[in-house]
Amino acid sequence: MHAEKTDHDFEPKIVAFVCTWCTYAGADLAGTSRMQYPPNVRVLKFPCTGRIDPVFILRAFQKGADGILVSGCHPGDCHYMAGNFHARRRFAAFRQLLEFIGVDLQRLQFSWVSAAEGGKWVEVVTELTERVRSMGPMAEFKELETEEHWSAQLNTPELQEAFQSI
Amino acid sequence: MDTTVPKLDPTPLVDAAYYAAVTAALRAEATKLLAEGTVTAVIGYVAGRRAGTAMPAVITALERANDLIFSPGCQNNLALYLTKAKKEIRKSGKVAIVAKGCDLRALAGLMAENQLKRENLHLMGLACAGVYGANADRTQPLSAATIARKCRECTVHLPEGVDFIAGDLPQLPELAPLEGEELARLEAMTPQERWAFWKEQFSRCIRCLACRQVCPFCFCEQCLCDRNRPQGIETTPRPAGNMGWHIVRAMHLTGRCGGCAECERACPMDIPLNLLNRKMAQEMKELFDFEAGMTPQDKGPLSSYQEDDDQSFIK
Repeated sequence: MHAEKTDHDFEPKIVAFVCTWCTYAGADLAGTSRMQYPPNVRVLKFPCTGRIDPVFILRAFQKGADGILVSGCHPGDCHYMAGNFHARRRFAAFRQLLEFIGVDLQRLQFSWVSAAEGGKWVEVVTELTERVRSMGPMAEFKELETEEHWSAQLNTPELQEAFQSI
Repeated sequence: MDTTVPKLDPTPLVDAAYYAAVTAALRAEATKLLAEGTVTAVIGYVAGRRAGTAMPAVITALERANDLIFSPGCQNNLALYLTKAKKEIRKSGKVAIVAKGCDLRALAGLMAENQLKRENLHLMGLACAGVYGANADRTQPLSAATIARKCRECTVHLPEGVDFIAGDLPQLPELAPLEGEELARLEAMTPQERWAFWKEQFSRCIRCLACRQVCPFCFCEQCLCDRNRPQGIETTPRPAGNMGWHIVRAMHLTGRCGGCAECERACPMDIPLNLLNRKMAQEMKELFDFEAGMTPQDKGPLSSYQEDDDQSFIK
């Protein structure tokens, strides 16, 4: 019944920002249908993809996410009429900005998963998890989070000495 | 990063008679407007205390109309003085505002966002040859060496849709598009190199928020980035917060920024912020065929949508 258990060197943390009306219900359907998908995904429920601010994505990366999935209703199916149309434009722009800053877009996945597409949810999550697993941990934002001051590196003898004398 | 390139040609781009003509036209118009009572105030530039500088001024008295000037030191985007944060000026009734082409794009954007009403404004456009860069030597005349980077590839020397244009545009030589070249250089890099570049740039950020303060579009009464509980962006000048702040700033200006590059000029650490703005403006043009213009447009690209927008990146 259960898929064969394999041990991996790296278990990526995947954060999924989903809309409550379609993808959350789709994920629920996958669960009630007993479909198997990687447990790496943490689902966060939002009213609509239009509610998902790019800041959430930044914050998730900073706090340790290795991959991020944003998923909502198919165009035209939005519970609030146009939320996903706005989200589509916003994320089209945000992707380009992240790429320009130097983030690998392979870690960021957008998808439309309806309430009836439990199978698609499994497919999307599995694909993203395996892709991110093969890429390894997302280091950039996490490093920033732990660094104190980039400009305060003790890279000269004078600074080293001053630091030692404290 | 230096926003001007000192090695470049120091020969003056325009002669002093041009500035005198623009200044005279501004003064005559301001005097007329204030004498007729058409406007209650003129927002313009007056000479600064040091040579080659200018400072913004709100002129309400007729006798002060002759203090108005135009010089290469007139860098400020005066649209800032009409945004939400400066309510008292707008309340005084119809005001005239001096605007370069780039400032006019900001004004048009603010009108499109219902922050300003066109009928409450008297737009005094400038036939602008360019202004000094942030670190330019102001004892020198405006030249390829002292001109701001944004002005090198300016497409809005002559304003449109204004009530009055001061001066005539002199013949201007073509200047090398330094900012465009820098953008192309960054785009050609690998993502890792770009990350290293921006990490290095943002590492200098001291989070003084001058870029926010000077931006005509950052008019929110409470900025998302100042909020805690829940906190979106760290407020201290730590690496994580700096990166977050600059990404959010660029994102919130996407499809709105008029390209006045005031953020870059005001930055005490010389972070090339306008590169981000330009990149996003370029993306808006490619993705949604939107360009910031000098006349108000219905809706920005991120506050509107079309049913057949590209979704090739969505699975």
